[in-house]
Amino acid sequence: MMASRLGMPAASIPDNPLSLSWHDSAWIPILNTANVMDYFSQGSNPFFDRTCNNEIVKMQRLNPEQLQNMTGLEYVLLHVQEPILYVIRKQHRHSPQQVTPLADYYIIAGVVYQAPDLASVLNSRLLSAVHHIQSSFEESSSFAKYHPSKGYSWDFKSQRVNIEKTKKEEKPREEPSSLFQRQRVDMLLGELIRKFPLPCPPQPKLVPSAPVKQDSENGATENKDIKTEIKQEKIKPPPEKKPRIH
Amino acid sequence: MVNLNMENKLKRYEKIEFLGEGQFATVYKARDVETENIVAVKKIKIGSRQEAQDGINRTALREIKLLQELHHKNLIGLLDVFGHMSNVSLVFDFMDTDLEVIIKDNTIILTTANIKSYMLQTLHGLEYLHLNWILHRDLKPNNLLVNSSGILKIGDFGLAKLYGSPNRINTHQVVTRWYRAPELLYGAKQYSTSIDMWAVGCILAELLLRLPLFPGESDLDQLTKIFGVFGNPTEDNWPGVKSLSDYMEFKPFTPIPLKSIFTAAGDDLLDLIESLLVLNPIKRRECSQCLQMPFFSNKPAPTLGSKLPLPQSVRKIRDIEKPSLKRKLLEAAEGGTLSKRLFF
Repeated sequence: MMASRLGMPAASIPDNPLSLSWHDSAWIPILNTANVMDYFSQGSNPFFDRTCNNEIVKMQRLNPEQLQNMTGLEYVLLHVQEPILYVIRKQHRHSPQQVTPLADYYIIAGVVYQAPDLASVLNSRLLSAVHHIQSSFEESSSFAKYHPSKGYSWDFKSQRVNIEKTKKEEKPREEPSSLFQRQRVDMLLGELIRKFPLPCPPQPKLVPSAPVKQDSENGATENKDIKTEIKQEKIKPPPEKKPRIH
Repeated sequence: MVNLNMENKLKRYEKIEFLGEGQFATVYKARDVETENIVAVKKIKIGSRQEAQDGINRTALREIKLLQELHHKNLIGLLDVFGHMSNVSLVFDFMDTDLEVIIKDNTIILTTANIKSYMLQTLHGLEYLHLNWILHRDLKPNNLLVNSSGILKIGDFGLAKLYGSPNRINTHQVVTRWYRAPELLYGAKQYSTSIDMWAVGCILAELLLRLPLFPGESDLDQLTKIFGVFGNPTEDNWPGVKSLSDYMEFKPFTPIPLKSIFTAAGDDLLDLIESLLVLNPIKRRECSQCLQMPFFSNKPAPTLGSKLPLPQSVRKIRDIEKPSLKRKLLEAAEGGTLSKRLFF
Protein backbone atom coordinates (compact mmCIF):
# COMPACT_ATOMS: atom_id res chain seq x y z
CA MET A 1 0.00 0.00 0.00
CA MET A 2 2.75 2.37 1.04
CA ALA A 3 4.76 1.39 -1.99
CA SER A 4 2.18 2.37 -4.54
CA ARG A 5 1.49 5.66 -2.81
CA LEU A 6 5.12 6.74 -2.87
CA GLY A 7 5.73 5.45 -6.36
CA MET A 8 8.40 3.01 -5.29
CA PRO A 9 9.10 -0.19 -7.14
CA ALA A 10 6.73 -2.74 -5.66
CA ALA A 11 9.21 -5.55 -6.08
CA SER A 12 11.46 -4.29 -3.29
CA ILE A 13 8.65 -4.41 -0.71
CA PRO A 14 7.90 -7.88 0.61
CA ASP A 15 4.31 -9.00 1.16
CA ASN A 16 4.47 -8.60 4.89
CA PRO A 17 7.57 -6.81 6.14
CA LEU A 18 6.61 -7.66 9.73
CA SER A 19 7.31 -11.34 9.20
CA LEU A 20 10.76 -10.60 7.84
CA SER A 21 14.20 -10.15 9.34
CA TRP A 22 17.57 -9.45 7.78
CA HIS A 23 21.16 -9.59 8.89
CA ASP A 24 24.67 -9.78 7.48
CA SER A 25 26.82 -11.86 9.77
CA ALA A 26 30.04 -10.26 8.52
CA TRP A 27 28.96 -6.93 9.98
CA ILE A 28 27.49 -8.03 13.29
CA PRO A 29 30.75 -8.09 15.31
CA ILE A 30 31.78 -4.60 14.19
CA LEU A 31 28.44 -2.79 14.44
CA ASN A 32 28.52 0.57 16.21
CA THR A 33 26.73 3.91 16.14
CA ALA A 34 28.99 5.23 13.41
CA ASN A 35 28.46 2.43 10.92
CA VAL A 36 24.98 1.19 11.72
CA MET A 37 23.45 3.35 8.96
CA ASP A 38 25.91 1.92 6.45
CA TYR A 39 24.96 -1.54 7.63
CA PHE A 40 21.29 -0.74 7.18
CA SER A 41 21.81 0.76 3.72
CA GLN A 42 23.29 -2.36 2.20
CA GLY A 43 21.68 -3.39 -1.05
CA SER A 44 20.57 -6.77 0.27
CA ASN A 45 18.55 -5.30 3.13
CA PRO A 46 14.92 -5.66 2.07
CA PHE A 47 13.87 -2.84 4.41
CA PHE A 48 16.08 -0.31 2.64
CA ASP A 49 14.75 1.59 -0.35
CA ARG A 50 17.82 2.52 -2.38
CA THR A 51 16.06 5.42 -4.12
CA CYS A 52 15.93 7.27 -0.76
CA ASN A 53 17.57 10.63 -0.23
CA ASN A 54 20.35 9.13 1.92
CA GLU A 55 21.53 7.05 -1.02
CA ILE A 56 21.29 9.99 -3.44
CA VAL A 57 23.48 12.10 -1.14
CA LYS A 58 25.93 9.23 -0.83
CA MET A 59 26.04 8.53 -4.57
CA GLN A 60 26.56 12.22 -5.40
CA ARG A 61 29.20 12.57 -2.64
CA LEU A 62 27.34 15.50 -1.13
CA ASN A 63 27.49 16.76 2.43
CA PRO A 64 25.20 14.53 4.57
CA GLU A 65 23.76 17.70 6.10
CA GLN A 66 22.11 18.33 2.73
CA LEU A 67 19.52 15.73 3.70
CA GLN A 68 17.73 18.43 5.69
CA ASN A 69 17.16 20.44 2.52
CA MET A 70 15.74 17.60 0.49
CA THR A 71 12.19 16.41 0.38
CA GLY A 72 11.11 12.81 0.15
CA LEU A 73 12.08 9.52 1.68
CA GLU A 74 14.91 9.35 4.19
CA TYR A 75 16.23 7.17 7.02
CA VAL A 76 17.50 8.51 10.35
CA LEU A 77 19.11 6.87 13.35
CA LEU A 78 16.49 7.48 16.01
CA HIS A 79 17.75 5.72 19.10
CA VAL A 80 20.90 3.95 20.19
CA GLN A 81 21.50 1.64 23.10
CA GLU A 82 25.02 0.44 22.57
CA PRO A 83 26.02 -2.19 21.81
CA ILE A 84 22.87 -4.17 21.29
CA LEU A 85 20.00 -1.99 20.06
CA TYR A 86 19.62 0.59 17.30
CA VAL A 87 16.37 2.08 16.08
CA ILE A 88 16.18 3.51 12.57
CA ARG A 89 13.24 5.52 11.35
CA LYS A 90 11.99 5.77 7.79
CA GLN A 91 10.32 9.10 7.22
CA HIS A 92 9.02 11.39 4.52
CA ARG A 93 10.54 14.86 4.71
CA HIS A 94 8.36 17.74 3.59
CA SER A 95 10.65 20.59 4.66
CA PRO A 96 13.67 21.09 6.93
CA GLN A 97 11.27 21.24 9.89
CA GLN A 98 8.51 18.86 8.96
CA VAL A 99 8.66 15.09 8.62
CA THR A 100 6.10 12.29 8.65
CA PRO A 101 7.31 9.02 10.18
CA LEU A 102 6.55 6.02 7.99
CA ALA A 103 8.09 3.08 9.84
CA ASP A 104 10.58 2.19 12.55
CA TYR A 105 13.16 -0.56 12.30
CA TYR A 106 15.05 -2.01 15.20
CA ILE A 107 18.39 -3.71 14.95
CA ILE A 108 18.81 -6.00 17.89
CA ALA A 109 22.02 -8.02 18.11
CA GLY A 110 22.61 -7.18 14.45
CA VAL A 111 19.30 -8.53 13.17
CA VAL A 112 16.98 -6.01 11.55
CA TYR A 113 13.23 -6.15 12.11
CA GLN A 114 10.44 -3.78 11.31
CA ALA A 115 8.60 -2.54 14.41
CA PRO A 116 4.94 -3.45 14.08
CA ASP A 117 2.29 -0.76 13.98
CA LEU A 118 -0.40 -0.69 16.63
CA ALA A 119 -3.06 -2.19 14.39
CA SER A 120 -0.87 -5.23 13.71
CA VAL A 121 -0.12 -5.69 17.41
CA LEU A 122 -3.78 -5.51 18.37
CA ASN A 123 -4.79 -7.73 15.48
CA SER A 124 -2.26 -10.32 16.41
CA ARG A 125 -3.23 -10.24 20.09
CA LEU A 126 -6.93 -10.46 19.34
CA LEU A 127 -6.32 -13.30 16.93
CA SER A 128 -4.31 -15.30 19.43
CA ALA A 129 -6.87 -14.68 22.18
CA VAL A 130 -9.71 -15.79 19.96
CA HIS A 131 -7.69 -18.75 18.79
CA HIS A 132 -7.08 -19.92 22.34
CA ILE A 133 -10.70 -19.48 23.33
CA GLN A 134 -11.77 -21.40 20.28
CA SER A 135 -9.37 -24.24 20.90
CA SER A 136 -10.48 -24.47 24.51
CA PHE A 137 -14.05 -24.80 23.36
CA GLU A 138 -13.05 -27.41 20.82
CA GLU A 139 -11.14 -29.35 23.43
CA SER A 140 -13.86 -29.24 26.06
CA SER A 141 -16.50 -30.24 23.55
CA SER A 142 -14.46 -33.34 22.74
CA PHE A 143 -14.90 -34.51 26.36
CA ALA A 144 -18.64 -34.16 26.33
CA LYS A 145 -20.55 -37.39 26.12
CA TYR A 146 -24.16 -38.02 25.51
CA HIS A 147 -26.09 -41.02 26.60
CA PRO A 148 -29.80 -41.30 25.85
CA SER A 149 -30.63 -42.33 29.38
CA LYS A 150 -28.16 -40.18 31.34
CA GLY A 151 -28.10 -37.11 29.14
CA TYR A 152 -24.83 -35.09 28.85
CA SER A 153 -21.82 -35.87 30.98
CA TRP A 154 -18.04 -35.33 30.99
CA ASP A 155 -15.71 -38.15 30.08
CA PHE A 156 -12.04 -37.43 30.69
CA LYS A 157 -10.69 -40.96 30.92
CA SER A 158 -10.95 -42.41 27.44
CA GLN A 159 -9.04 -39.61 25.68
CA ARG A 160 -6.39 -38.67 28.24
CA VAL A 161 -3.51 -40.50 26.56
CA ASN A 162 -4.29 -38.79 23.32
CA ILE A 163 -4.24 -35.35 24.88
CA GLU A 164 -0.95 -35.80 26.66
CA LYS A 165 0.65 -36.77 23.40
CA THR A 166 -0.50 -33.67 21.61
CA LYS A 167 0.47 -31.51 24.54
CA LYS A 168 4.01 -32.78 24.48
CA GLU A 169 4.27 -32.16 20.80
CA GLU A 170 3.01 -28.64 21.05
CA LYS A 171 5.04 -27.49 23.99
CA PRO A 172 8.39 -26.70 22.36
CA ARG A 173 6.71 -24.53 19.77
CA GLU A 174 5.41 -22.08 22.32
CA GLU A 175 7.46 -18.98 22.82
CA PRO A 176 5.66 -16.82 25.31
CA SER A 177 6.72 -13.22 25.48
CA SER A 178 8.57 -12.23 28.61
CA LEU A 179 6.89 -10.27 31.38
CA PHE A 180 9.07 -7.26 30.44
CA GLN A 181 7.96 -7.35 26.82
CA ARG A 182 4.31 -7.56 27.74
CA GLN A 183 4.50 -4.80 30.31
CA ARG A 184 6.48 -2.61 27.96
CA VAL A 185 3.81 -2.84 25.30
CA ASP A 186 1.06 -2.36 27.88
CA MET A 187 2.81 0.78 29.04
CA LEU A 188 2.98 2.08 25.47
CA LEU A 189 -0.69 1.30 24.96
CA GLY A 190 -1.55 3.12 28.19
CA GLU A 191 0.41 6.11 27.04
CA LEU A 192 -1.41 6.15 23.74
CA ILE A 193 -4.80 5.96 25.41
CA ARG A 194 -3.84 8.92 27.59
CA LYS A 195 -2.75 10.84 24.52
CA PHE A 196 -5.79 9.95 22.47
CA PRO A 197 -8.64 9.33 24.94
CA LEU A 198 -11.50 7.12 23.84
CA PRO A 199 -14.28 9.11 22.27
CA CYS A 200 -17.23 9.70 24.60
CA PRO A 201 -20.24 7.73 23.46
CA PRO A 202 -23.20 9.95 22.63
CA GLN A 203 -25.34 10.68 25.71
CA PRO A 204 -28.64 8.81 25.74
CA LYS A 205 -31.47 11.17 25.04
CA LEU A 206 -33.76 12.09 27.92
CA VAL A 207 -37.02 11.33 26.13
CA PRO A 208 -36.98 7.63 25.19
CA SER A 209 -39.68 7.98 22.53
CA ALA A 210 -38.46 5.26 20.16
CA PRO A 211 -35.78 3.24 21.93
CA VAL A 212 -35.23 0.72 19.14
CA LYS A 213 -34.71 3.33 16.50
CA GLN A 214 -32.39 5.34 18.67
CA ASP A 215 -30.27 2.32 19.32
CA SER A 216 -29.65 1.73 15.66
CA GLU A 217 -28.97 5.40 15.11
CA ASN A 218 -26.35 5.40 17.80
CA GLY A 219 -24.78 2.36 16.34
CA ALA A 220 -24.58 4.02 12.96
CA THR A 221 -22.95 7.19 14.22
CA GLU A 222 -20.52 5.20 16.26
CA ASN A 223 -19.51 3.26 13.18
CA LYS A 224 -18.96 6.46 11.29
CA ASP A 225 -16.79 7.72 14.12
CA ILE A 226 -14.61 4.69 13.92
CA LYS A 227 -14.09 5.06 10.23
CA THR A 228 -13.11 8.69 10.31
CA GLU A 229 -10.81 8.10 13.22
CA ILE A 230 -8.92 5.41 11.45
CA LYS A 231 -8.43 7.69 8.53
CA GLN A 232 -7.24 10.59 10.61
CA GLU A 233 -5.01 8.92 13.10
CA LYS A 234 -3.85 5.42 12.58
CA ILE A 235 -2.45 4.88 16.04
CA LYS A 236 -5.64 5.68 17.91
CA PRO A 237 -6.99 2.70 19.82
CA PRO A 238 -10.22 1.36 18.41
CA PRO A 239 -13.27 2.34 20.44
CA GLU A 240 -15.44 -0.31 21.98
CA LYS A 241 -17.73 -2.10 19.65
CA LYS A 242 -21.02 -1.35 21.37
CA PRO A 243 -22.08 2.07 22.52
CA ARG A 244 -22.30 2.31 26.28
CA ILE A 245 -25.89 3.30 26.68
CA HIS A 246 -27.10 1.03 29.43
CA MET B 1 23.13 50.40 -47.89
CA VAL B 2 24.78 47.33 -46.49
CA ASN B 3 27.12 49.41 -44.41
CA LEU B 4 24.25 51.36 -42.95
CA ASN B 5 22.55 48.14 -42.01
CA MET B 6 25.66 46.91 -40.24
CA GLU B 7 26.04 50.16 -38.39
CA ASN B 8 22.54 49.70 -37.05
CA LYS B 9 23.32 46.18 -35.98
CA LEU B 10 26.38 47.33 -34.10
CA LYS B 11 24.31 49.83 -32.22
CA ARG B 12 21.47 47.40 -31.65
CA TYR B 13 23.44 45.26 -29.20
CA GLU B 14 24.83 47.07 -26.16
CA LYS B 15 27.66 45.23 -24.51
CA ILE B 16 26.98 44.51 -20.81
CA GLU B 17 29.87 42.31 -19.82
CA PHE B 18 32.50 39.90 -21.06
CA LEU B 19 31.41 36.28 -20.57
CA GLY B 20 34.20 34.11 -21.85
CA GLU B 21 36.70 33.29 -24.51
CA GLY B 22 36.99 30.11 -26.50
CA GLN B 23 39.34 28.88 -29.18
CA PHE B 24 37.42 30.52 -31.99
CA ALA B 25 35.39 33.23 -30.37
CA THR B 26 34.80 35.67 -27.54
CA VAL B 27 31.35 35.86 -25.98
CA TYR B 28 29.71 38.96 -24.52
CA LYS B 29 26.50 39.49 -22.66
CA ALA B 30 24.56 42.25 -24.38
CA ARG B 31 21.24 44.01 -24.40
CA ASP B 32 19.18 44.09 -27.56
CA VAL B 33 18.07 47.72 -27.69
CA GLU B 34 15.13 46.99 -29.96
CA THR B 35 13.52 44.27 -27.87
CA GLU B 36 15.15 44.93 -24.48
CA ASN B 37 16.10 41.23 -24.36
CA ILE B 38 19.38 40.05 -22.93
CA VAL B 39 21.38 38.15 -25.53
CA ALA B 40 24.78 36.55 -25.95
CA VAL B 41 26.94 37.88 -28.76
CA LYS B 42 29.59 35.49 -30.00
CA LYS B 43 32.28 37.33 -31.89
CA ILE B 44 34.24 34.99 -34.13
CA LYS B 45 37.98 35.54 -34.11
CA ILE B 46 39.68 36.18 -37.40
CA GLY B 47 42.36 33.64 -36.56
CA SER B 48 45.51 33.09 -38.55
CA ARG B 49 45.97 34.40 -42.04
CA GLN B 50 45.67 30.87 -43.39
CA GLU B 51 42.26 30.44 -41.81
CA ALA B 52 41.18 33.82 -43.04
CA GLN B 53 42.05 32.77 -46.59
CA ASP B 54 39.39 30.07 -46.39
CA GLY B 55 36.86 32.74 -45.64
CA ILE B 56 34.68 32.47 -42.63
CA ASN B 57 35.64 30.16 -39.78
CA ARG B 58 34.29 26.65 -40.30
CA THR B 59 32.62 26.17 -36.91
CA ALA B 60 30.89 29.51 -37.21
CA LEU B 61 29.72 28.59 -40.68
CA ARG B 62 28.24 25.33 -39.37
CA GLU B 63 26.39 27.17 -36.64
CA ILE B 64 25.03 29.79 -39.01
CA LYS B 65 24.06 27.24 -41.63
CA LEU B 66 22.26 24.83 -39.33
CA LEU B 67 20.83 27.02 -36.61
CA GLN B 68 19.07 29.34 -39.03
CA GLU B 69 16.80 26.47 -39.96
CA LEU B 70 16.33 24.99 -36.52
CA HIS B 71 13.75 26.26 -34.11
CA HIS B 72 13.00 24.32 -30.95
CA LYS B 73 12.50 25.24 -27.33
CA ASN B 74 15.43 23.05 -26.32
CA LEU B 75 17.91 24.19 -28.94
CA ILE B 76 19.85 27.43 -28.63
CA GLY B 77 18.24 30.06 -30.81
CA LEU B 78 20.37 31.98 -33.31
CA LEU B 79 18.72 35.39 -33.26
CA ASP B 80 20.90 37.37 -35.59
CA VAL B 81 24.15 37.36 -37.53
CA PHE B 82 26.06 40.44 -38.53
CA GLY B 83 29.49 41.33 -39.78
CA HIS B 84 31.74 44.24 -39.10
CA MET B 85 35.02 44.74 -40.92
CA SER B 86 36.29 41.19 -41.29
CA ASN B 87 34.53 39.99 -38.12
CA VAL B 88 31.40 37.94 -37.89
CA SER B 89 29.20 38.05 -34.81
CA LEU B 90 26.44 35.61 -33.91
CA VAL B 91 23.64 36.63 -31.58
CA PHE B 92 22.18 33.87 -29.41
CA ASP B 93 19.62 33.47 -26.63
CA PHE B 94 21.31 34.42 -23.37
CA MET B 95 21.77 31.42 -21.09
CA ASP B 96 22.74 31.86 -17.43
CA THR B 97 24.62 28.65 -16.87
CA ASP B 98 25.23 25.12 -18.12
CA LEU B 99 25.01 21.59 -16.79
CA GLU B 100 28.75 21.41 -16.12
CA VAL B 101 28.50 24.29 -13.64
CA ILE B 102 25.40 22.74 -12.08
CA ILE B 103 27.01 19.32 -11.74
CA LYS B 104 30.13 20.78 -10.12
CA ASP B 105 28.25 23.00 -7.66
CA ASN B 106 27.97 20.76 -4.64
CA THR B 107 25.53 23.03 -2.86
CA ILE B 108 23.03 21.77 -5.44
CA ILE B 109 21.21 18.51 -4.92
CA LEU B 110 20.26 16.76 -8.11
CA THR B 111 17.19 14.75 -7.22
CA THR B 112 15.65 12.17 -9.52
CA ALA B 113 12.98 14.72 -10.42
CA ASN B 114 15.61 17.31 -11.39
CA ILE B 115 17.57 14.80 -13.44
CA LYS B 116 14.37 13.71 -15.15
CA SER B 117 13.65 17.29 -16.13
CA TYR B 118 17.13 17.84 -17.61
CA MET B 119 17.03 14.53 -19.47
CA LEU B 120 13.56 15.20 -20.88
CA GLN B 121 14.62 18.57 -22.24
CA THR B 122 17.87 17.20 -23.65
CA LEU B 123 16.10 14.32 -25.36
CA HIS B 124 13.37 16.57 -26.76
CA GLY B 125 15.94 18.90 -28.28
CA LEU B 126 18.04 16.06 -29.59
CA GLU B 127 15.01 14.24 -30.98
CA TYR B 128 14.17 17.31 -33.04
CA LEU B 129 17.77 17.53 -34.21
CA HIS B 130 17.94 13.88 -35.21
CA LEU B 131 14.55 14.00 -36.95
CA ASN B 132 16.03 16.80 -39.06
CA TRP B 133 18.99 14.61 -40.02
CA ILE B 134 21.50 16.48 -37.92
CA LEU B 135 24.10 15.01 -35.58
CA HIS B 136 25.34 17.28 -32.84
CA ARG B 137 28.64 15.42 -32.38
CA ASP B 138 29.76 17.35 -29.33
CA LEU B 139 27.27 16.69 -26.56
CA LYS B 140 28.69 17.22 -23.07
CA PRO B 141 27.43 18.90 -19.89
CA ASN B 142 29.24 22.09 -20.88
CA ASN B 143 27.15 22.35 -24.08
CA LEU B 144 23.80 21.84 -22.39
CA LEU B 145 22.92 25.42 -21.49
CA VAL B 146 20.39 26.30 -18.81
CA ASN B 147 18.75 29.66 -18.20
CA SER B 148 17.43 31.05 -14.94
CA SER B 149 13.91 29.81 -15.63
CA GLY B 150 15.22 26.26 -15.88
CA ILE B 151 14.96 25.82 -19.66
CA LEU B 152 17.70 23.63 -21.05
CA LYS B 153 18.93 24.31 -24.57
CA ILE B 154 21.48 22.35 -26.54
CA GLY B 155 24.22 24.71 -27.63
CA ASP B 156 27.47 24.85 -29.60
CA PHE B 157 26.73 23.51 -33.05
CA GLY B 158 30.34 23.94 -34.14
CA LEU B 159 30.69 20.23 -34.87
CA ALA B 160 27.11 19.53 -35.91
CA LYS B 161 26.63 17.95 -39.32
CA LEU B 162 23.99 16.50 -41.57
CA TYR B 163 23.98 12.73 -41.59
CA GLY B 164 22.37 9.98 -43.59
CA SER B 165 24.21 9.99 -46.91
CA PRO B 166 25.25 6.36 -47.28
CA ASN B 167 28.62 7.05 -48.87
CA ARG B 168 29.75 10.01 -46.86
CA ILE B 169 32.87 9.47 -44.81
CA ASN B 170 32.97 11.37 -41.54
CA THR B 171 35.81 12.00 -39.21
CA HIS B 172 35.86 9.97 -36.02
CA GLN B 173 37.71 12.72 -34.21
CA VAL B 174 34.52 14.20 -32.83
CA VAL B 175 32.98 14.49 -29.42
CA THR B 176 34.98 15.34 -26.32
CA ARG B 177 36.75 12.15 -25.32
CA TRP B 178 34.87 11.36 -22.11
CA TYR B 179 31.58 11.36 -24.01
CA ARG B 180 32.87 9.63 -27.12
CA ALA B 181 31.13 6.42 -28.15
CA PRO B 182 33.18 3.22 -28.43
CA GLU B 183 32.69 2.94 -32.22
CA LEU B 184 34.30 6.38 -32.65
CA LEU B 185 37.20 5.32 -30.46
CA TYR B 186 37.58 2.28 -32.71
CA GLY B 187 37.79 4.60 -35.72
CA ALA B 188 34.34 4.21 -37.28
CA LYS B 189 33.96 6.59 -40.25
CA GLN B 190 30.29 5.93 -40.75
CA TYR B 191 28.14 6.50 -37.74
CA SER B 192 24.76 7.75 -36.82
CA THR B 193 22.62 9.26 -34.11
CA SER B 194 23.85 6.59 -31.73
CA ILE B 195 27.03 8.60 -31.07
CA ASP B 196 24.91 11.37 -29.61
CA MET B 197 22.91 8.84 -27.60
CA TRP B 198 26.08 7.47 -25.99
CA ALA B 199 27.03 11.00 -24.98
CA VAL B 200 23.56 11.50 -23.47
CA GLY B 201 24.09 8.30 -21.48
CA CYS B 202 27.41 9.62 -20.16
CA ILE B 203 25.79 12.93 -19.24
CA LEU B 204 22.97 11.14 -17.40
CA ALA B 205 25.56 9.13 -15.48
CA GLU B 206 27.41 12.32 -14.61
CA LEU B 207 24.23 13.95 -13.32
CA LEU B 208 23.78 10.96 -11.02
CA LEU B 209 27.36 10.61 -9.82
CA ARG B 210 28.45 14.27 -10.02
CA LEU B 211 31.64 12.97 -11.63
CA PRO B 212 32.32 11.84 -15.20
CA LEU B 213 31.59 8.13 -15.62
CA PHE B 214 34.53 7.49 -18.00
CA PRO B 215 37.24 10.13 -17.45
CA GLY B 216 39.72 8.62 -19.90
CA GLU B 217 43.19 10.13 -20.07
CA SER B 218 43.81 8.94 -23.63
CA ASP B 219 41.72 7.27 -26.30
CA LEU B 220 42.99 3.86 -25.23
CA ASP B 221 42.38 4.62 -21.58
CA GLN B 222 38.88 5.72 -22.56
CA LEU B 223 38.10 2.30 -24.04
CA THR B 224 39.67 0.61 -21.02
CA LYS B 225 37.36 2.55 -18.72
CA ILE B 226 34.30 1.72 -20.84
CA PHE B 227 35.08 -2.01 -21.05
CA GLY B 228 35.88 -2.00 -17.33
CA VAL B 229 32.17 -1.40 -16.75
CA PHE B 230 30.47 -3.19 -19.64
CA GLY B 231 32.97 -5.94 -20.36
CA ASN B 232 34.76 -6.46 -23.67
CA PRO B 233 32.87 -6.30 -26.94
CA THR B 234 32.63 -9.55 -28.88
CA GLU B 235 31.35 -10.45 -32.32
CA ASP B 236 28.30 -11.85 -30.48
CA ASN B 237 27.20 -8.69 -28.69
CA TRP B 238 28.53 -6.33 -31.35
CA PRO B 239 28.69 -7.94 -34.81
CA GLY B 240 31.29 -6.25 -37.00
CA VAL B 241 33.32 -4.73 -34.18
CA LYS B 242 36.49 -6.51 -35.30
CA SER B 243 36.35 -4.99 -38.77
CA LEU B 244 36.53 -1.41 -37.46
CA SER B 245 39.76 0.23 -38.60
CA ASP B 246 41.27 0.86 -35.18
CA TYR B 247 40.00 -2.34 -33.53
CA MET B 248 42.23 -3.99 -30.97
CA GLU B 249 41.83 -6.57 -28.26
CA PHE B 250 41.87 -5.51 -24.63
CA LYS B 251 42.63 -7.65 -21.64
CA PRO B 252 39.41 -9.30 -20.51
CA PHE B 253 37.19 -7.38 -18.11
CA THR B 254 34.23 -8.67 -16.15
CA PRO B 255 31.25 -6.35 -16.42
CA ILE B 256 30.12 -4.47 -13.30
CA PRO B 257 26.36 -4.35 -12.66
CA LEU B 258 25.10 -0.79 -13.12
CA LYS B 259 23.15 -1.17 -9.90
CA SER B 260 26.37 -1.13 -7.91
CA ILE B 261 27.57 2.05 -9.66
CA PHE B 262 24.31 4.00 -9.53
CA THR B 263 23.35 2.87 -6.05
CA ALA B 264 20.45 5.28 -5.60
CA ALA B 265 18.92 4.81 -9.05
CA GLY B 266 15.53 3.16 -9.31
CA ASP B 267 14.98 0.29 -11.71
CA ASP B 268 13.29 2.50 -14.31
CA LEU B 269 16.28 4.83 -14.33
CA LEU B 270 18.74 1.94 -14.60
CA ASP B 271 16.74 0.72 -17.61
CA LEU B 272 17.23 4.08 -19.29
CA ILE B 273 20.99 4.11 -18.62
CA GLU B 274 21.21 0.55 -19.87
CA SER B 275 19.50 1.40 -23.14
CA LEU B 276 21.71 4.44 -23.78
CA LEU B 277 25.07 2.98 -22.85
CA VAL B 278 25.14 -0.08 -25.09
CA LEU B 279 28.43 -1.00 -26.75
CA ASN B 280 26.80 -2.01 -30.01
CA PRO B 281 25.63 1.25 -31.66
CA ILE B 282 22.79 -0.55 -33.47
CA LYS B 283 21.29 -1.63 -30.14
CA ARG B 284 21.46 1.83 -28.56
CA ARG B 285 18.03 3.41 -28.25
CA GLU B 286 16.96 6.52 -30.13
CA CYS B 287 15.57 9.68 -28.50
CA SER B 288 11.98 8.89 -29.39
CA GLN B 289 12.28 5.38 -27.95
CA CYS B 290 13.91 6.69 -24.77
CA LEU B 291 11.17 9.25 -24.25
CA GLN B 292 8.64 6.41 -24.29
CA MET B 293 10.38 4.59 -21.44
CA PRO B 294 8.63 4.19 -18.08
CA PHE B 295 11.20 6.37 -16.30
CA PHE B 296 9.65 9.50 -17.81
CA SER B 297 6.07 8.59 -16.94
CA ASN B 298 6.79 7.16 -13.47
CA LYS B 299 6.84 9.16 -10.28
CA PRO B 300 8.40 11.50 -9.31
CA ALA B 301 7.28 13.98 -11.95
CA PRO B 302 10.06 16.07 -13.56
CA THR B 303 10.81 19.28 -11.68
CA LEU B 304 9.18 22.38 -13.13
CA GLY B 305 11.65 24.71 -14.84
CA SER B 306 11.18 27.48 -12.29
CA LYS B 307 11.96 25.09 -9.43
CA LEU B 308 15.15 23.64 -10.84
CA PRO B 309 18.22 24.46 -8.74
CA LEU B 310 20.54 27.22 -9.92
CA PRO B 311 24.27 27.43 -9.21
CA GLN B 312 25.45 29.83 -6.51
CA SER B 313 26.84 32.34 -9.02
CA VAL B 314 23.47 32.72 -10.77
CA ARG B 315 21.51 32.77 -7.51
CA LYS B 316 23.43 35.81 -6.28
CA ILE B 317 22.64 37.83 -9.39
CA ARG B 318 19.05 36.77 -9.19
CA ASP B 319 18.73 37.87 -5.56
CA ILE B 320 19.70 41.38 -6.54
CA GLU B 321 17.06 41.52 -9.25
CA LYS B 322 14.54 39.73 -7.11
CA PRO B 323 12.41 42.33 -5.26
CA SER B 324 10.25 43.34 -8.21
CA LEU B 325 9.76 39.73 -9.18
CA LYS B 326 8.79 38.82 -5.67
CA ARG B 327 6.21 41.54 -5.53
CA LYS B 328 4.74 40.35 -8.79
CA LEU B 329 4.53 36.83 -7.46
CA LEU B 330 2.90 38.00 -4.27
CA GLU B 331 0.34 39.95 -6.21
CA ALA B 332 -0.34 36.94 -8.35
CA ALA B 333 -0.73 34.77 -5.26
CA GLU B 334 -3.15 37.19 -3.66
CA GLY B 335 -5.17 37.32 -6.82
CA GLY B 336 -5.26 33.54 -6.78
CA THR B 337 -6.71 33.28 -3.29
CA LEU B 338 -9.23 35.95 -4.10
CA SER B 339 -10.59 34.12 -7.08
CA LYS B 340 -10.81 30.98 -5.00
CA ARG B 341 -12.89 32.74 -2.42
CA LEU B 342 -15.21 33.99 -5.09
CA PHE B 343 -15.49 30.49 -6.37
CA PHE B 344 -16.90 29.28 -3.04
